[in-house]
Amino acid sequence: MASPAEAEELAPADLTGLDVPWVTIVWNDPVNLMSYVSYVFQSYFGYPREKAERLMHDVHEKGRAVVSTGTREEMERDTEAMHGYGLWATFSKDS
Amino acid sequence: MARRFERTRRGVTARLDEDERELVDELLAEVSALLDDGLAPESDPLEALVGITEGASTPEDPALARLLPDAARDDPEAAAEFRRFTERGLRQRKRDALATARATLARPGPLVLDAGEAQAWLVALNDLRLVLAERLGLRTDDDAERLLAEADAMAADDPRAWMSAVYDFLTWLQETLVTALSDELQRRDP
Repeated sequence: MASPAEAEELAPADLTGLDVPWVTIVWNDPVNLMSYVSYVFQSYFGYPREKAERLMHDVHEKGRAVVSTGTREEMERDTEAMHGYGLWATFSKDS
Repeated sequence: MARRFERTRRGVTARLDEDERELVDELLAEVSALLDDGLAPESDPLEALVGITEGASTPEDPALARLLPDAARDDPEAAAEFRRFTERGLRQRKRDALATARATLARPGPLVLDAGEAQAWLVALNDLRLVLAERLGLRTDDDAERLLAEADAMAADDPRAWMSAVYDFLTWLQETLVTALSDELQRRDP
């Protein structure tokens, strides 16, 4: 069992944990067209074409890209929207 | 012979011949049936109201699992919870898009789509391609290249040759639709 002193030491780390943002990741797949993925990033997230295309290339070449960052609820919403478009997306805590 | 999607003053237009219409309509209907969870909307009024699917798990059919993927890796609990709250709505939205595409196909003459119908086609074509790709065993970029190399050598009566040709046709059709809609995005937001 932790003493009060130890508990105090642990507290900042726990609080940091709450502040860690969540991310939405889109994964590469052989089906989704590059033009389509870029279109989805522009029309759903409102990203400028250059940013959308950079993210699309990251997905294609690196296998994945973080496409948005925020609270867990926001990332769940983005993930659900990506699934609506047929993109292979997951949400997780940023690490 | 199909004519590609184009933006015109009347909307987004395309032309499919009778065989192509029938084929696409059949595929739209098949994917819609695949997404039907068989639950009557009123089976549980509370579940229907809040859109919860009790006991929802990753679909066993890999094609359906591709349409309704797990939303969290390495965290089955979070994935299951997400599925419970979102799967019913996602199935319904996908089926709505497929139904919209079918309704526009049923109209006589060339396809003339408003903005909402064009979006429905975009998503519906993508879902058709996802299902066909899974049936063709297309799971990685290498698979895609292999299929492309093999397709030419396939016998005409090989069902994979036909499916592969349909997949290519849908890919072409979707690409022209993305192009038509992207031009519009650029104009809206230069």
